[in-house]
Amino acid sequence: MFRTGSRRNHDKGPAAEALRLVKVSKTYGSDDGAVAALDGVTLGLARGTFTAVMGPSGSGKSTLLQCAAGLDQPDSGIVQVDGTELTGGGEAELTKFRRGRIGFVFQQYNLLETLTVAQNTVLPLKLAGRRVDRRRAREVLEQVGLGDRLSHRPAQLSGGQRQRVAIARALVTEPRVIFADEPTGALDTRSARDVLRLLREAVQVHGRTVVMVTHDPVAASYADSVLFLADGRLVGQLDAPTADAVAERLAHLGDDVTVGV
Amino acid sequence: MFVLAMRSIRQRPGRFLATLLSAFLGATIIMTFNSLHDTAAGHGVDAVSRETLTTSASVVGGYGTLLVFFAVASTLTVNVRQRAAELELLRSSGATPAQLKRMVVGEAVAVALVGAVLAIGPAMLGGRWLLDMFQDSGQVSGSVEYSFGTVALMSGVDITLIAAAGAAFLAVRRATLRREPRGRARTFLAWAALAVGAVSVTSTFAFSATDPALMAAPAYGAILLSVGFALLSPRLLKVVLDRLPLSGAAGWLAARNLRERAGQLAGILTSLVLFTAVASATLTMQAVESDAVSASGLRKSVADKNLETLNLTVVGIIVVFVCVMLVNSLYAATTYRTREFGQQRLAGATPGQVLGVVGAEGLLLTVVGVVFGTVAALAGVVPFTVVRTDGVLPDQWLGIWLAVVAVAAAVTLGTSLATARRVLRAPAVGAVAVAA
Repeated sequence: MFRTGSRRNHDKGPAAEALRLVKVSKTYGSDDGAVAALDGVTLGLARGTFTAVMGPSGSGKSTLLQCAAGLDQPDSGIVQVDGTELTGGGEAELTKFRRGRIGFVFQQYNLLETLTVAQNTVLPLKLAGRRVDRRRAREVLEQVGLGDRLSHRPAQLSGGQRQRVAIARALVTEPRVIFADEPTGALDTRSARDVLRLLREAVQVHGRTVVMVTHDPVAASYADSVLFLADGRLVGQLDAPTADAVAERLAHLGDDVTVGV
Repeated sequence: MFVLAMRSIRQRPGRFLATLLSAFLGATIIMTFNSLHDTAAGHGVDAVSRETLTTSASVVGGYGTLLVFFAVASTLTVNVRQRAAELELLRSSGATPAQLKRMVVGEAVAVALVGAVLAIGPAMLGGRWLLDMFQDSGQVSGSVEYSFGTVALMSGVDITLIAAAGAAFLAVRRATLRREPRGRARTFLAWAALAVGAVSVTSTFAFSATDPALMAAPAYGAILLSVGFALLSPRLLKVVLDRLPLSGAAGWLAARNLRERAGQLAGILTSLVLFTAVASATLTMQAVESDAVSASGLRKSVADKNLETLNLTVVGIIVVFVCVMLVNSLYAATTYRTREFGQQRLAGATPGQVLGVVGAEGLLLTVVGVVFGTVAALAGVVPFTVVRTDGVLPDQWLGIWLAVVAVAAAVTLGTSLATARRVLRAPAVGAVAVAA
C-alpha cells in the first residue's frame, strides 16, 4: 500500500563524524515557566565509538537524545547525522531521515505486541519499503542469542530477551548511529550485562556508533567515553571510564557547575 | 463505593457521554412509543385507532428495550475496558470485586437516570409527532387526544435503569473475571441462530403472495441469520484474513493486527453485520411490498400503512443506535492504541503509514461485516421477492444496498481515521511514554 518502489539511495559513504551537534538549544514551556532543557550543546562523535551520556534527572539527557535522533526538533542549532544535516520538516520527513540512518533501543523495548520476534525485527525494513532479507534477520537474531525464539511473541519473552530483540531490530537496518535510552533501566544485572555487551559488539564488530543515555555508572563503564550533562550543558567528559570513576564524577557534578567548567 | 461512583462521574463527565447518549436515545424511543399506550387508553378512542396505537407501541417498544440493553452494554463494556488501569488501582488499594461491581453499576444507574429524565421532553414531542402522522395517514382518527402518562414514564425509566444496571453488571463481571468468554456457548448460539434463521427464511415459500404475514418470516429469518454471522464474526474475520493476499507494509500490519485483535473487534463486526442485514433487508422488502400493493391497484389498507411506518421506524432506530455503538467502540479502540501507534512511528512508520494501517483495518472490517450482512439480507430478500413478485432480486435492492454500505463504510472509516489523526498529533516519544 505504501511501498515506495524506489529503494533508499544510500549516500556516498559514512562520514568521519557520525553525529555532530552545534549549539543546540531547546526550551520547554514559555515565559516564566520556561526551562532550558538544552543550553547550547556542541559535540562531535567519531564513527565507531560508544558514548554514554550521563547526568542527574532533569539534566537534559533525554532531550539531547531526542534532538540528536530527530525525534524532536531543537529550537536552535545544527544537528548532523552521518554528515547530513537534520532539517526541519514534518514528522513524515523526519521519519524518512531516520530510516536507515538511525536505530533505537528504548527502556520500554517498544516492540509491537501483535508481531512475532522475527516480524518485529524486519518491521523497520518493511516500513521503509526495503527488501526484507529474512536470512540476514535470522543471522542478527542469532547474534543476539534469540535464534530459537523467532516465532515467539514479545509477551512470551523476558525483559532481557525483549531488549535483545530491540537491539536486533536496531541493527538490521544497518544504521549509522544507534541511540539507546536507558536500555538497561528495566533489567536485572545479568540481562543488563548481556545487553551492554551486545551494544559494545555493535560498535566493535559491526562498526556502528552507539549513543546511550543512562544513569547507571556500571552501564556507562561499557562505553568508550562518558559525557556529563547538567542543567542542559555539557560539563565534562571521561574517557575509558570505570564504574567507580563515573560514580565519583557524577557525585561531584554540582561542584563542576559552580566552578564553571 | 456509591460516593466514589458519583465522584468519578463528576470528575470525568466526558467518559460517560456515550452511555448517556445511548440511555437517552433508548429512553426517548421507549417513552415515545409507550406514550401511545397512554394515548390508546384515553376516553373515546375507537377500536381501529386503539389497535394501531397498541401494535406500534408493543412492537417498537420491544425492539427499543433490546436495543437499549445492547447499546448501553456496548458503551459500558468499552468504558470498563478503558478504565482497566483505574479499576486495577482500586483493586490493589483493597477494593473487593463486589465493591467494584457496586461502583460501576452505581455509575451506570446514575447516568441512565439522567438520560431517562432528559428523554421525557423529546419523548413527548416524538409521541405527539407520531400521533399526528398516524392521524394524517388516517390510521388513527383525528379526535384522539395525545396523552403522556404513567405507562410511558414508568416503562421508560424502569427499562432504561434495569438495562443499564444489568449491562454494567455484566461488563464489570467480564472485566474482573479475566476469563475468555465461553466460546462453546457462543458457537452453539451462533449455529442455533443460523439454523432457525434458515428455517424461517425457507418457510417464506409456504406463504401465498398476498398473505399479510408474508414479510415476517423472511425478515426475522434475515435478522436471525445476521445474529448468527455476527456471533461467528471473529472467526469469519480470521478465515477471510487467511485468504487475503496483502502487500505493502500497511496491509501487512493491518492483517496482523486484525488477526490478533479479532476477539476484541467482535463488537464492531457485530454492529456492522446487524446494521447491513437489518437495514438493507427491511428497507428492500418494504419497497417491494409497497410497489406490489400499488401495482395491484389497491389502496393501502391501515394495516399496510402501519407495517410500513413500523418498518421504517425500526430501521431508523437501529441505524441511530448502531451508529452510536460503532462510533463509540471505534473511538475507544483507536484511542486505546495510542502507545501502539507511537511504537510503529518509532520503528520508522510515517504518520501517513500509520493512518494507512488504520484505514486498511477499517476497510477490511467493513468489507467482512458488509459481506456477511449482505448474505443474511439476501437470504431474506430473495425468497420474499420470489413469492411476492415474479422476479428474484428487486430493482430497489441495489440502490438501498449501496446507501447502507456507504453509511457503514463512512461511519467505520470516518471514526477510525479521525480518531487516529487526533491521536497522531502527540509526539511519538510522548505517546509511547503515556501508557508505559
